[in-house]
Amino acid sequence: MNFKLRDNSMLFIEDFKNKSHEIRRNTLEMCVGAKKGHVTSCFSCTDILVALYYGEVLKYKSSDPNWEDRDRFILSKGQASPVLYNILADVGFFDKSELKKFNKEGGMFAVHLQNDVPGVEITAGSLGQGYGVAAGLALGAKMNNQLHNVYALLGDGECYEGSIWETAMFASHNRLNNLITIVDRNYLCVTDFTENLISLEPFSKKWEAFGFNVIEIDGHSFSEIMDAFGHNRSRSFSKPTVIIADTVKGKGMDCLCYQPLWHGRAPSIDMFAKICPSCDLHKDKCCGKNMNLDKIKKGI
Amino acid sequence: MADYITFRDVFFDKIYELAKKDSDVVIVVADMSAPALDKFRKELPSQFINVGIAEQNAIVVGSGLALAGKKVFVYAIAPFITLRCLEQIRVSNCIMNIPITIVGMGTGLSYDSDGPTHHLIEDISILRSLPNITIHNINDNAMASFYAEELCDIDSTHYVRLDKDFCDNIYDINFDFSKGMSKLCEGEENLIITTGPMVHTAMALVKDSPHNIAVIDIFQVPINEPVFLDMIKGAKKIITLEEHFLPGGLGSAVCEILNDNDIHIFVKRLGLDINSAYKYCYKYGGREIIRSYHGIDKVSLEKIINEYFKN
Repeated sequence: MNFKLRDNSMLFIEDFKNKSHEIRRNTLEMCVGAKKGHVTSCFSCTDILVALYYGEVLKYKSSDPNWEDRDRFILSKGQASPVLYNILADVGFFDKSELKKFNKEGGMFAVHLQNDVPGVEITAGSLGQGYGVAAGLALGAKMNNQLHNVYALLGDGECYEGSIWETAMFASHNRLNNLITIVDRNYLCVTDFTENLISLEPFSKKWEAFGFNVIEIDGHSFSEIMDAFGHNRSRSFSKPTVIIADTVKGKGMDCLCYQPLWHGRAPSIDMFAKICPSCDLHKDKCCGKNMNLDKIKKGI
Repeated sequence: MADYITFRDVFFDKIYELAKKDSDVVIVVADMSAPALDKFRKELPSQFINVGIAEQNAIVVGSGLALAGKKVFVYAIAPFITLRCLEQIRVSNCIMNIPITIVGMGTGLSYDSDGPTHHLIEDISILRSLPNITIHNINDNAMASFYAEELCDIDSTHYVRLDKDFCDNIYDINFDFSKGMSKLCEGEENLIITTGPMVHTAMALVKDSPHNIAVIDIFQVPINEPVFLDMIKGAKKIITLEEHFLPGGLGSAVCEILNDNDIHIFVKRLGLDINSAYKYCYKYGGREIIRSYHGIDKVSLEKIINEYFKN
């Protein structure tokens, strides 16, 4: 399967996978070096971000971060900033040398997302807030007769925040079909799986009941991700769309995926030394294949 | 009383006029009405955004609209649009410095019959501890009109405290409010520094007092320090007066400036004693009755003021 880009070049699934692998590895290196960063939160949404930025889903100009017609991307789960910073550097918003200064004196950024980094729209870290800003931006764009879209990426754990649902009601009532919500449904919070904590299921039905057009996808399948984003290009729905992306927290690293209490941590240098040389950072292998997914996803 | 209109109606009438000429002016409300707002809602529906009873969402949606170039007023009942959304305000409007105007209705003990959930006697302290936000404590129609116009063009966040009560007007319509404070009666040595509705109380008290006392109305916080220092020149005794808990309030702000400028004037702070906590919060019978439990009703204040300025 392949995708035709605006310059008529083709992007193959394998290209996406290679880019994701590269971004994950760079993100891991950056976080291990700084001993900081929510690595597993980054890895569950890496493929979605790669599709957004390399698959010509998002309209942006890295040479002009404040370009008026850009799509606005709101990373409401601000703890995934390390992977976004790696992508923004890779597509040219700022020099890659900044990545080496992650969480260091004189560096531009650290663990949580900040709005003064070129290419970033908001400061995030307090969950549940970015989504409302995204809805305000989407309504503002409609009022201004602007055609750009607003993409908001939420964590599933973030959906425990009541303010998410205040915004969801608002978005559907105002028919904000220029707001595309993506939920990184990785099933895992800090201490436990969502279905053990406070059940989020039936999750898609909740969004449906709030008036959303719901698309459920495998959040690591580029064909499904691109297909889901393609739906919205034509704004064929009057409702706002939510893409619930089934993902693996820690995707790419068997030793970390689906591991409670790995939220907010970076592997040590010793652990990294074991992971990376053998490139146990998987491109294709399905992480968590030995896990009891029923237990994780249904809380049984 | 029939001739009075509230600060709220003056404020929103002015915004309505401005919004008719400028489609970027928008009001985000959390299920609030007012005569002036009803007109706005009917005639400018696309600029009137009702988020329902969801104040946190009002702040963040308003902030998103501001990022989209709108001139945003977010309006709700005062305790809910400040303290309930404190973290939203802190992140979007103070840290990110997205400029919006937060308008809180019913500050202090305005909602005297509604109980403590609706009282707001902590907000000046809490919000002045945050950078990038300016507080305006409205107590006059000309002031309400001035700020409505002024706040259509802002580059940081502002919080407008609207009192629910009717009051006499203090200022001429052409008064220059830009300094953030005003000396209302002549006098240098004895000062009552106050804010909001207590300005009216202080004015009535000094009028009948045997002592020569000046009243300073602080209607903007953070206090404009150079103007303030100039205005208190010659002062020997100061009373600060506020319908607000004392820690962190106006009296604290005044003492901070005096201390930081090495000015040694004794200051008596009058307001709500934190030690009484919410002991009187279920007292009813009108605002003045509730104030009397805190010792800031007119009768109590008259005694305190005359005693303090006696010598």
